[in-house]
Parts: sequence; C-alpha cells; structure tokens
Amino acid sequence: MRIKKEYDAVIIGGGHMGLTLGAYLQRAGLKTAIFERRHEEGSAIFSNECTAPGFIHNLHAQYMEFLEWMPIWYDFDLPRFGARTVYPHAQSGLPFSDGRPPLVIYSVEKEENFDKTYKSVAQFSKHDADTLNDLLRKIQMIKPVFAQGLYNPPPVPTPENPEPDNEAVVMILQGLGYPTRISKMTYRDTIDYLFESDEMRCMFYRLGVEWGIGLDIDGTGGGFITTLCWYFNWRLMVGGTHTLAHAMEMAAVREGMEFFESSEVVKVLLEGKKAVGVQLKDGTKVSAKIVASNADIKGLMLRMVGEENLSDLWVKRVKDFEIGPSCVLGSTAMALHEAPDFKSARWNPDINKCFYTIVGYDSAAEMYAYCHDAHSGYLPKTYGEGIWVNSLWDPTYAPPGKHSLTGWIFLPKASKLTRGEWEEVRATWNDNFLLNFERFAPNMTRANVIDDFFYTPQDQEDEMRLMEGDFCNGSAKLSQMGHNRPFPEAAQYRTEIENLYLCGPFCHPGGGASSACGYNCFKIISQDLGLDKFWEKLDRGY
Amino acid sequence: MGLCPVYDDLDLTAEPDGVKYAYPPVQMGSIFDDGTAMTIHTDMKKTHASMSRFSVKDADTFQRLYKEVKGFQDLMISTLMYAPPIDVNDITRALSTWKVEEKTEFFRAKLRGMSINDFLNKHFENEKVKAMLAFHAAVCGYYTDVVGLAISFPFMLGKIDNWRLCIGGSHRLAHTLWRQMRRHNVTLRMASPVEEILLENGRAMGVRTFDNEKFFADKLVASSLDLDQTFNKMLPPDVLPADIRKDVDDYAYQDASLFSVHMAMNSIPTYKAAAFDPDINQAWVLNIGYNRLEDFNQDWSDIRKGKVPENPKLNVAVNSLFDPTDAPEGKAVGVIRVPAPFGVDGKGPGIWQSNFKKAYANRCVRKMEQYCDNFTAKDIIQAKPYTPLDISEKLINMKNGDWMVGRISEDNLMGNRPSPRMSQYRTPVSGLYLCGSTTHPHGFITFGPAYNALQVIADDYNIDKWWVEI
Repeated sequence: MRIKKEYDAVIIGGGHMGLTLGAYLQRAGLKTAIFERRHEEGSAIFSNECTAPGFIHNLHAQYMEFLEWMPIWYDFDLPRFGARTVYPHAQSGLPFSDGRPPLVIYSVEKEENFDKTYKSVAQFSKHDADTLNDLLRKIQMIKPVFAQGLYNPPPVPTPENPEPDNEAVVMILQGLGYPTRISKMTYRDTIDYLFESDEMRCMFYRLGVEWGIGLDIDGTGGGFITTLCWYFNWRLMVGGTHTLAHAMEMAAVREGMEFFESSEVVKVLLEGKKAVGVQLKDGTKVSAKIVASNADIKGLMLRMVGEENLSDLWVKRVKDFEIGPSCVLGSTAMALHEAPDFKSARWNPDINKCFYTIVGYDSAAEMYAYCHDAHSGYLPKTYGEGIWVNSLWDPTYAPPGKHSLTGWIFLPKASKLTRGEWEEVRATWNDNFLLNFERFAPNMTRANVIDDFFYTPQDQEDEMRLMEGDFCNGSAKLSQMGHNRPFPEAAQYRTEIENLYLCGPFCHPGGGASSACGYNCFKIISQDLGLDKFWEKLDRGY
Repeated sequence: MGLCPVYDDLDLTAEPDGVKYAYPPVQMGSIFDDGTAMTIHTDMKKTHASMSRFSVKDADTFQRLYKEVKGFQDLMISTLMYAPPIDVNDITRALSTWKVEEKTEFFRAKLRGMSINDFLNKHFENEKVKAMLAFHAAVCGYYTDVVGLAISFPFMLGKIDNWRLCIGGSHRLAHTLWRQMRRHNVTLRMASPVEEILLENGRAMGVRTFDNEKFFADKLVASSLDLDQTFNKMLPPDVLPADIRKDVDDYAYQDASLFSVHMAMNSIPTYKAAAFDPDINQAWVLNIGYNRLEDFNQDWSDIRKGKVPENPKLNVAVNSLFDPTDAPEGKAVGVIRVPAPFGVDGKGPGIWQSNFKKAYANRCVRKMEQYCDNFTAKDIIQAKPYTPLDISEKLINMKNGDWMVGRISEDNLMGNRPSPRMSQYRTPVSGLYLCGSTTHPHGFITFGPAYNALQVIADDYNIDKWWVEI
C-alpha cells in the first residue's frame, strides 16, 4: 500500500479549486491529500501542444481576470513558485472585414489608456466613449466590493431578505449612479440602453456569452455591470495557463499536502449519513475526517455517494441541476507562420496586437444571431471566434518567429450532437473559420497554418469531466447563481452527507480561474471545524 | 531500475506519492512473417521454452549468457554507468589483470572490434532468435551493425527482462522529481528558457532568461542541454578554445530517429501469431516484422541514405495492457514506432510537415493490421503521427530527432562522450558543468549524466556526499 490509509481531509479532483482548498486545509494543520483521475493537476487550468511541438495552446482558461484579488496568489506567494503574468496593453479588439477602423479597448491599468480607449470608441460614438469611460472609472473603485462577493460564501437568504443577491446589485447600481431598473433588464437591453453604436454592441454581446449570460434573459442587466468589472483587466500566464496549476500544486505540496495523479475516486465511503473516506478505482480505501469534491456534482452525488444514500429532495435537486447550454466551449488551435494582419490595422496597428480579438463579425445583428444560436442548441452559422495570439506577448508560446493562436467559440452542449457529428465539426470547423478569417485578415489563409486542431465540447467532457463541455460544470443561469448555486440546500458548500463538502465550479461564484469555490469552501470547513479564521484579521474583506 | 541509485536517494518510488511501475510478465515479443512468435518473460524458464521452439541450442546459449551476465553485470554496469567515465583501455587492462576472460564464455576484450551482428552470428544459429535479441538492442538505441558496440551487448541482454512501465504515463516520473525538489526547497522556474550563461572574469556566475531576468549562482551553473545550445547559443563565441570549439561543432548524432504513430483504440489488439504462442497477446514491447539480422541492416542502410524504410518493421507497445489509467474504460492506448531518418531523400526534414507523415502513418497501421486478428484502422479512434522533426521541435535537446542526444558508437561513449576533453562533466569555462545526455553514459532514463556530474561537482566544491556512492 503506497497511499496512506488515513488523512484528515481528502479532496476528490485536482482542479484548481481542489488545489486551492488543499493548500489552505494543509496550512490549517489538516493532513490533506488530493486524488485526481487524470495524469495532471489543474483540470481546465491547462495548456498543451495540440497542434505542433513547441506551440502552446490554452484550450480552456485563457485570460486571468481575478489574479489581483485571488487569495491563494498572495497567501501562498505563487510568484515564488514560478507563476508570472503578462498584462497586455491592448486588451480587446474588434476588427472589420470592410477595413473600417477597429474598436480597441485598452487595459484599465494606466490612466493614459482611458484616453486611448476613449479615442477608439469615439470613432463610432462620442456618447458611447463617455459612457464606457464613466462606467470603467467608477467600477475600478468598487471592485473590492465585487471581490468580496466572489471570495465569500454567498449571502444566506432570510425571510426578510429572500433575494440578497439582487439587493446587492441594486445597491451597486445606485452607488454608480445608474438606474436601478437595469437590474431587471435583459443583458442585451442593458447594452443597447448604455451604448448606441453597433460596434460597441457587437463587442459586448460577445463578452456576455463568455460569462454564460443569455442575452435575452430578464434580470441579467446587473450581470453586465458585474462582468464589466472584470473586463479589460486580463492577464496572461507566462508559459501557458498550466503554469498557474503547477505553481498552486507546488505551493500546496510545499505545505505538506499530498497529490496523487492517475488515482480516480469511484466511491465516497459512508457510515450512515456521514462521509468517512473514499475508495479509489484500484480498490484502495482511504479514510478521512472530511471529504470535499470538485468533481462534477452529478457524478459525485449520484454515483460516488449513490442515490440510495440521498434523500428524495437531494436526488431531485442534483438531477434538476442544469449543465449547459451556457459556457459550452469549443476551441480552435492553430500553429501559425505569421500572426494575423487585419485590414483594420491601417487605422490602428494595435488591432494586430490585441490580447483578445473578436474575429468574424461585422455587426451587432450577426453577433446577436451567433449568441442566440449558441445558447439554443444550434451550431452557429457565422464562423467567428474570440482569439488570442499569446506568442505576441510571450515568446515561450511558440518556436522563434512563429505564432500560436487559440480561439474560443461557444457551441451547443455536447449532448445536442452525436459523437460522429462532433467529429464532423472537428474536421470542418477550422477550414470554415479560416474562410471567414481571411476576409478580416488577408494573411490568414491555409498556407499560413502549420498545423491546427479543434477541441469540441465532447472532448471537454471526456477529458476533464466538464460535463456537456460547460466550463462552469453547471449553467450560469440566474436561478442557479449566488445563494441558489448549485441549489439552495447546497449553497453553503455543505451537503446533506455530514463531512462531505463541495468545492467545484458548480458552487458560488461559478466557473473561471478564480479559485473562489475552493477558498470559500475552506472558510465553511474552517467554521465547522473551529479552525483559525485568519482572513477575518485581514483588511481585504475576504 | 534496480541499478540506478537515484530512485532510492531521492525517494522517487517511496510512499506515499512516489512513482509506481508495472512490471509486465511478458516483457517483449517478436511476431514473424511465417506466423510464429517468440516471447521474453520475466520468468527465464518461459523465455527458454519459447526460444527452444526455434532452437534448443540457442535457448541454452541465451540462458548461459543471461546467467553469466547476471553474475557480474550489475556490479559492472553500476560501476561503469554511475561514475564519471574511466578510460576504456584502463578497463581492458583491469579485466585482463583480473583474468576475467578465463571466467566468462561471452565477454572478451575483442568485442571492442565487433558489431552486435558479429556477436549474434558468433554465438547463435537461428535467425529469429538473433532478430529478437537484435531488436532489443535497437530499442536501446544501439545499432546492430556498428563496430565496437558488441562490448555493451552482453550487459544489455542481461537487462532484457528489466523493462518497466510508469503507471499514469512517463510524465509521472517528472512530476515526482518536481515534488521532491519542492520538498527540498529547490526553486523551479517554469517557462523560463535561458538565453545566456553569465560570466564574470571568465567564470560562470548565473544565467539570463528570455525575459531578461538574471539569476546569480554563488557556486556553479550546470547545463543539461546539448552542446550546441550550451556553448554556441548561451556563451560568447570567444570563450571556447579552438580545440573545444571543434569538439562542439563535430559532435555527432545518431543516424536514425523515430517515427511514431500514437493511437487511441477501441480495444487491445490481439495477434494471429497467438495461435502459435498465446503469450504474444500479453507481450509489452513487440517486434513486428524483423525476421532476420538482414532486416535490421537494411533499415540502417536505408536510413543512412536518408531513405524511409519502404516496408516498415514495427515496434509496437500497448501500455493499456498494464496501466488501466491510460485510457477510458474499455479503450486502449498504443504506439507504433519505426526507425526513420531526420532528413529524407536529401531534402531535409521538411517532408515530415507534409502529407507524407499521414501516408507513412497509414502504411505503418496497414502493416500492423496484417499481423492482427482483431485490429484494423477502423478500431483506431484517433491516430497522431509524431515525426523525427517533431521530436527535435518539442525537445530541442534532441537535435536531428536523436533521442539518445548523441551517437552511440565507441568514439562517443565513455571517456569519449561528448569529447575526451569534456568527459569529466567540467567545461573550459570555470564553474560551468555539463549534466545532460551528451555526457556519459548517454540518453535514456538512466539519470547517469546528472548523477555523475554531481560526483564531480561534489569533489570540486567539497560537498558532503549524503547520497549512495557507487
């Protein structure tokens, strides 16, 4: 027997949420082990060379928007373990096939960038430029409030205040000086209300899809304000997103935590209604005082715990938990001879060096149709993507002089198509995308592509157990967010099985490389075990 | 495994989270064109029985050789591999002084003038037995027709039943090394290619990375990279004396690289030859199609001319037989490998970026199909060719796709590797050491170069040798 039979805490799944929880628990004095099904740590915090050797592609997590707030980054000094970032100057760009000036939005890091953003937006509408800069400036000041929302367990509803999340949104809107009725609007209506130019609407519709927000759903207007808080503050992990996972694991192992890869948990061991350990696929049984899981919630509760051990309510809740259609991702990866050279670059060369560039759409109407298709179970009719050419910023992403491109497209959830149909998508998507891409950047022909790969939602389910290809492992619809995520009875990271906790992205605040579900779960466990609440002594508010 | 002191010194296989290895009972096998098959087992009796079906005399010879080698080889290999190299002439003199030849049937100083082919022809009669044993040498990166390599061959045969598979993928070993380093406070800087070795008064005192960060070292800098990168890329041109510059520029690489097809499969293949020897279905590393020594010679000759073998003979391994973690339930992972040149038909390696790689992968799969009874291309979920060019692009140390990082021949082994002037891991730049596969013993997962460099560094800096010394 190589694995010790007893730990204080065992974590199912070595995704970044699990790594975060593991690092904190071990530091708090609990002998902790993580068991991971795959041969690598970090789950979707990964990078690989799926096109040609030497070309690194982040098929999942790309832009790091939470790092400046992420507790583990500071509490465990991840830069000490080699985690470094680049903060691209031009953050988000929208080029056009007719070669009109591009829309470029610059990072909120420097004051002078606000002027650059203003100039770029004002080409289309002075009103929009004023609005955007006003919003961006104000929102920088209230970011700590949003960070506290992320890195604390969700508020618990009370009879007096059954919808505490909404109350917070209303307060924030008031604070910003924007009408509170925005909180009741749809995402699209909010964007249309705030911005008049087709170009701005086109970009922001797309960004909403990134966060899993359906454009036509009432009550998502507040979501626009929340998401805007994290926009244009995107960093890139040097060497690939996976370096973040490596650094997290190194930090946790340095604390004394143990990590077992290629060690799939198949069962949560129970004594009555109490979790007492886990069983691995090879039959090994490990006992633990606490079990936490960032593996997908349906697999955890219905198979590893077992329906027979759950109440009817919990079985229903887990089964009803909706996964997709939001946040269902496909990724293009291309090894390139040259970086894309956009027609619109003659107006502003920065469009050729934007961190995130939205390619393939000329109008808000086209973008709206795409977003609508993606959430309605149809393959989009427009072959467009949001792309990153990370080698522009970090030469370790590609061999000298070459470029590595990765793109995101939001697609129907995995089960909407058969495996054969997904293979067809894999075989044809990139060619079709290139045909469209070339209209915007004439050098993006087949001849510029050394090798390419398309990663489907089905691949994500198969590889990462991101079910349906949903990177949040659970729809980000309003009724499943905040104090209702994954469902009201489980929103405080506890389950009805004593000592079994949840720490995956199906918990508040959801998916993305925030590490918040792991951190928040740690706080709940600390509360239950009476551990030192060190964070209460810090002035960051979480 | 079993020889290398590093596993124990660094607790690489220790509880709780060390590397775990599978030890396949049927280690290797050969499938021949006439439907027969031979298997090498961890159980020598079974190996003997399998070989006896082809030649009882050869089976007996092999058994004698194996036993003889087992008697002294562990001691000799450890001494030779896990210490800075000593002069081959000194070794020969010592063997003669100890009258080793009087005590052995197979080990002779004159093996230094013989090829592996010569050795096999001298001791064995059956072509298939010879092909099986030659295949083992080829898998180890030792070409059968190179004069001088016969000296290593008996030792190699003693390890024919010592192949192990890293559960969870070879990468697991790297993970474990990383973790052990973390536990001992080693700082690992990921994604930080070094651009320059910093010098002060001619002494190595640090490195500069691609992003212009400088890291200073009080005592030394060691490079596990190849000579070209270490000396030509990272040091100014004038620091090397002319003779060492020539050593660097003349450093020779292997003639053959590898072309691989990595396959995700619906099931584990089984073979027609199982009718002859059912154990073949459980063999780990499989020779498919090398029937005689001449088959190897033909490959080496083609490859030296820059030709891809027309009729590929395959090295096939299906790891899922022994490691259920490497594929989803009920599915399997396998690899086909064939020796191949880096540059093809005098046109350089560019052909590996063309459609040729897919065509050649298909040719390899078709070849495999011929020997299987349940496997066709349709059973492959996805196949990914990995070419000689890919090897050198991914692992830039492996120049020309050479996974041994330097020619395996007498003039580039032991005290000649990478050159007599640098064989002791020291370089002309004071404070700069070599510790990679360009140094003795060579590539492969031996840990040898680093372990040996450590001995030299410990001597030079008066470091307490807390590790096991060989």
